[in-house]
Amino acid sequence: MNGLQLYLQSLLNIKHIYNVLTANVGYRYIKRWVSPTQKEITRRKRRLPAQPESKRSNFIEWNRNSEIYAFNTRLSEKFDTEKLNQAFTHKSYILDELKKQQEMGIEEPKFDISHNEEYIEKGREITSEIVKKYLKKSLPRLPEVGITALHDYLMSEQMLATASSHIGTKDIILTSEHPVSQQTLAQTFVALVGALAESVNVDHASAFVRDFLIVGLANKDLTEIWCPTKPFELLNDVISAERKISIEARLIGQAGKNTILSVYHVGIYANKEYLGSGFGETIAEAKDVAAINILAQIYGLHHTSQPLRFNEELNVSA
Amino acid sequence: MVFLTAQLFVRSRGPDEFWRKRQIFKLAAHYIGRKRNCYSIAIKNVHRALLKTTRGRQLKKQDMRELWETRLNGATHEHNISLRILLEGLNRCNILLNRKSLANLAIWEPRTFKCLSDIACAKAKLGGIKRVANNSMPETVMIKGLVDELD
Amino acid sequence: MSLLRKGQQWGTFACVWHIFDATWQDPFKSAHLIKKYLMGLHKPIYHPLNQCGDHVIVINSKEIALRGDHWQKRVYFHHTGYHGGATWTLAWELHSKDPTMIIKKAIYSAMDGTLQRRFTMQRLHIFPDDNVPKEMLENVSNQIKQLRPVPNRLYEIPQEERDKIPRLIQYPSDYQLK
Repeated sequence: MNGLQLYLQSLLNIKHIYNVLTANVGYRYIKRWVSPTQKEITRRKRRLPAQPESKRSNFIEWNRNSEIYAFNTRLSEKFDTEKLNQAFTHKSYILDELKKQQEMGIEEPKFDISHNEEYIEKGREITSEIVKKYLKKSLPRLPEVGITALHDYLMSEQMLATASSHIGTKDIILTSEHPVSQQTLAQTFVALVGALAESVNVDHASAFVRDFLIVGLANKDLTEIWCPTKPFELLNDVISAERKISIEARLIGQAGKNTILSVYHVGIYANKEYLGSGFGETIAEAKDVAAINILAQIYGLHHTSQPLRFNEELNVSA
Repeated sequence: MVFLTAQLFVRSRGPDEFWRKRQIFKLAAHYIGRKRNCYSIAIKNVHRALLKTTRGRQLKKQDMRELWETRLNGATHEHNISLRILLEGLNRCNILLNRKSLANLAIWEPRTFKCLSDIACAKAKLGGIKRVANNSMPETVMIKGLVDELD
Repeated sequence: MSLLRKGQQWGTFACVWHIFDATWQDPFKSAHLIKKYLMGLHKPIYHPLNQCGDHVIVINSKEIALRGDHWQKRVYFHHTGYHGGATWTLAWELHSKDPTMIIKKAIYSAMDGTLQRRFTMQRLHIFPDDNVPKEMLENVSNQIKQLRPVPNRLYEIPQEERDKIPRLIQYPSDYQLK
């Protein structure tokens, strides 16, 4: 019966027309003409070439102002409406509108709204700074290279675009292209950060970046994003700088030495104290894995380390 | 309804069976051959499949329990006790973990699992269970708190 | 997958090589022990469909010990598929023809008849004596404990030590030993 009910819901319009025609409210079964009609409609639809994705703003009931208001309220942000509008307006949209006016035969095309170019530039700077500061705060022992790698990962177009589409910018963006490209989505996110920094302050923008962009690191394997190229040497440097002793690697176990599934278990010791171990296909690989294992634990990147915290306040302006 | 003429009788054929059949065809959509296209064959197979899914709901639970027990058997024998001792010991200690979570601990947190099996072994030894009489008392367990009036 | 995760995976699913000395062991009881290692039943990651079994090398299969009068009474059946192609071979006969066969059959029938069984059997290596190829022996990293200790037989003890064993009675010199 469920399928039937679902179908009836999708047929609401037809049902309505049918009811009006027959002036008969409620009926016991689906009439015999319904299925052939539906089949024909589907057949014709299938025969059409692939239709472009419909633009949400072309719908009759689209109300941009209320969408902008809803965006602001939904995120509990205090964007200045004018600035928010500007952050969503891309340059290509304005150029497109001017061109349209020219085509219509207007001598001096005029379109009095400002685009988000400066917000993008400013927002990118702010976001980058916030991300760096936040990472430094939450992963204090991670060296500069690692911070940069994580920063680059977060500032990549894909991450920014994901963050942007998750807060629902896709339909509100004003741009000439349709559907909206990844690049535009990413630019909109940074533009929003720029607009927020101007509307409220940079500290508030930092909370915005933390809540929507930096949380992208949650549940991710951080060593996949950054891994030292020469882990054993790096570990040696770290340990010798801290404790003035050098480390040594020892083979703890091995299995299936002459097979393709050979496994070596290498432990790393400093002054006979066990630091950690790792497995690998060859002894060299196992040694590297062991070193990465220990380094990741020191830096807080290991999957058993305490997870990154996403509720820390950041004081950027100071 | 009174059918005065044959034409009227033909016209009122009742509801469209297309929708009734479509419900069955939807369930048979992933079958191969005539099983998905011919209604009389499709309905037989759909009924059979529905019966099997009903049975499968119980079987899945049984199978999973069996798998957890196999895994726990392997894990407990690593620490020189059996699954029965583990469950009995933990129960007596009022550590109420089910087979699923114990098996997960054995895989993902082997050291936690070792502690649990040590506690179970100690409790079983204190309780005078014969099968662990030859095991040595685990050194990591504080025996003082484990003894209670029941033992 | 990062190198760290790869190492974790590689270590978890490591295929260990075990060695088992079948001297004076009951093949049918040892089969249940060896089966566990072959199928990976001794690991908490066991699943019937994943590859978690280990390799087992069984040595000295010539020296197995059967219970009671099983050497004379146990019969191995084989049928060629043709009419009148049935043969019944006694355990001692089979053992004299192929000293690895009894333990192999014991382990094979100890496992459930699933599709995995023949692949699991490929991880079993049986040798009638202790002449294991060197490359294979290098793989080994664990020895499975025997089910019962090998009995120390009197004729294997050297004469000097045998003389030192205290005797309860001394036969008189004219006592007739049959």
